[in-house]
Amino acid sequence: MDFAALAPSANSVMPSVHPTSQAKEAAFSPYEDHGGTNLAIAGADFCVIASDTRQSNGYHINTRFAPKTFKLTDKTVLTTAGCQPDCNMVATRVRQHIEWYKYTHNRSISTAAIAQMLSIMLYQKRFFPYYDFNILGGLDEEGRGAVYSYDSIGSMERVPCQCCGSASALIQPFLDNQVRNKNQKGKEEVTAFDPVAKLSLETTLKIVKDAFTSATERDIYTGDSLQIFIVTRDGVEEQRYPLKRD
Amino acid sequence: MFLTRSEYDRGVNTFSPEGRLFQVEYALEAIKLGSTAIGIETTDGVLLAVEKRVTSGLLVADSIEKILEIDHHLGCAMSGLTADSRTMIDHARVEAQNHHFTYDEKIPVESVTQAVCDLALRFGEGAEGEKSIMSRPFGVALLVAGCDERGGQLYLADPSGTYTRYKAKAIGAGSEGAQTELQEEYYDTITLAEAEALALKVLKQVMEEKLTADNIQVAAVTPSLGFHVYSQEKLQTVVDSL
Amino acid sequence: MLSDIVAQYTQDSTSYHGDLAFSSSNAWQGDVAKQFGQLSFDLPNTGNPAEFLHQYTDVKSDHDALIKLAHGTTTLAFKYADGVVIATDSRATQGSVIASQSVKKIIEINPYLLGTMAGGAADCAFWERELGRRCRLYELRNKERISVAAASKLLGNMVYSYKGMGLSMGTMVSGWDKTGPNLYYVDNDGTRLKGNLFSVGSGSPFAYGVLDRGYDHELQKEDALELGKRSIYHATHRDAFSGGYVRLFHMNEDGWEFISLTDMDDLHWKYTGDAAVTAS
Repeated sequence: MDFAALAPSANSVMPSVHPTSQAKEAAFSPYEDHGGTNLAIAGADFCVIASDTRQSNGYHINTRFAPKTFKLTDKTVLTTAGCQPDCNMVATRVRQHIEWYKYTHNRSISTAAIAQMLSIMLYQKRFFPYYDFNILGGLDEEGRGAVYSYDSIGSMERVPCQCCGSASALIQPFLDNQVRNKNQKGKEEVTAFDPVAKLSLETTLKIVKDAFTSATERDIYTGDSLQIFIVTRDGVEEQRYPLKRD
Repeated sequence: MFLTRSEYDRGVNTFSPEGRLFQVEYALEAIKLGSTAIGIETTDGVLLAVEKRVTSGLLVADSIEKILEIDHHLGCAMSGLTADSRTMIDHARVEAQNHHFTYDEKIPVESVTQAVCDLALRFGEGAEGEKSIMSRPFGVALLVAGCDERGGQLYLADPSGTYTRYKAKAIGAGSEGAQTELQEEYYDTITLAEAEALALKVLKQVMEEKLTADNIQVAAVTPSLGFHVYSQEKLQTVVDSL
Repeated sequence: MLSDIVAQYTQDSTSYHGDLAFSSSNAWQGDVAKQFGQLSFDLPNTGNPAEFLHQYTDVKSDHDALIKLAHGTTTLAFKYADGVVIATDSRATQGSVIASQSVKKIIEINPYLLGTMAGGAADCAFWERELGRRCRLYELRNKERISVAAASKLLGNMVYSYKGMGLSMGTMVSGWDKTGPNLYYVDNDGTRLKGNLFSVGSGSPFAYGVLDRGYDHELQKEDALELGKRSIYHATHRDAFSGGYVRLFHMNEDGWEFISLTDMDDLHWKYTGDAAVTAS
């Protein structure tokens, strides 16, 4: 077994780890981690997608308002975390392809179709990945909430809720507990195979706000303000809440 | 019609002074030499029926195929140069699979027809630097039938790269008589079973040989069964009931 | 061969950022679906893209890296008298974090072909999706289903053309064709093996132990399915990179059949009476 992989992670593989390749590869270092956290929760007839707006670079805070959640259509929202230019490029390209789809096929694209397309677009960069972790949220063709989670090269899965980014290890277990009732006696568990959670929109929003205020206390890369996108059959509504700015 | 064709019909990319592309017009003429094919939109799917020209008792009728599957929900019937249709239908199949690969959904009927038509003009170079891949226009027309969320649809894709939606359409050698007949007999509430009878009745009138279950091919695309070619037995039942 | 691929793609990339060059030079830019007639990937603008990829991604899970990809697995498949049993766990790890406990590691290529997922999740999912596309085209063009041998060969050839570029895929392709049930192992090095019994992934040594102990060509279907389930369970018990649920499929003459999806915790308490488990 490979124990090195279990060791606490250094921030990244910096050139110093590979002294022999330093001279050759140090010049090409296209990735920066800009931190930030996002999540999405699918409900019976809604989907909530949220992200904080802080952008950091190491211990420096670049800006307090750098949105990384993007409304794609009236029923689909993309949220990203990782390297900001990569995130923006992914969002731009997805939007571009959505436009092309509209003109080619003369209809608006479904959330499921965007989900599969995004997976393939990410895989096109298999050998030069986007440093970008995506969650796609929206409504499916039956009007139910839908959340798709990805790794950076397009491994895709539909789940009831997902968190990614710098505070994902803090928030995901909280969501498993609060949204999915995981491992709780006497409560009905929402398994990962159920498409949606069984919460009301009101409760979901409370959980989202709690998740981010708590993560802001424990993760230096998360904070400043919170953007929440609520997708219902009436369209996409955006709400903003302040988070702590320290 | 071709009094002034002179030498303007030599190049596929040259207009005549009257603004005509003769090679494309000739290609459209080639369709009129082909065997008759009929398509009918019905309330519960789209029907395709073609005549097979079984010109000799030595010819194995099964080896003539004029209706082909594009995908589960799409089929097409052809008239004209059969060999040309292979390229177009393979292109349609690839487009349908690429769409499914990318979007995890069925390709819309109109989109696959558009894709075939995009290919039809590739005897010239494209606006975006595409190389010409054929020396002449296709000599075949396709009746594309399919079902998607807009319901059953029938399109005609011709060698000029134009596509048109029809409620009922006949192409090929017997198309003029057949189209007149369809025009008179078609009604909006026609069912698949009624369309079967109508298509065969029309074919019977325009075919030179006597219509049997061996010298026609019939297929339907319905929302529940998708594309399916009628078996010999089913065909026989329909023929017998005429 | 590798240098050809590299040359082809780096040229695209150097002309401008790969993406934009890709869409402006492509004749069919209107629809992303049309781009997949010919597969095409962006490469980083460096002399050695494979080295670049190794530096920044951890697809082999043998070192830490900035971009953590989903992987880690136990999968198995074995052929016996009545068909093929296919079983997998459902855990995906990114570094030491469990990214998902619900991964679908059995991929339905089409109604009579299954692939399994070990190694990079995206690699397996993408290439088996591509395999599904090609098998469907084969079926339309030839009016008969592709054989398992041919399908696995297609997959092997596809990934072989990217050999050395850093793909990670260990898959078992199983199906039922004219020759009966068939099972092939295909991986990213281009290895392609026909066999009766395979297990792939970090937990495979444990699964093999249980499998080899219980395997018999003449097993009853019920016993064969139980053997598959139990082997995965024991692997998840000893391999931290495996866990979640046991997903179980069976290959019948008329195509695959989904059997069950069982929480590992339920299995643990079910098997707890066994000496092998209580001893640990």
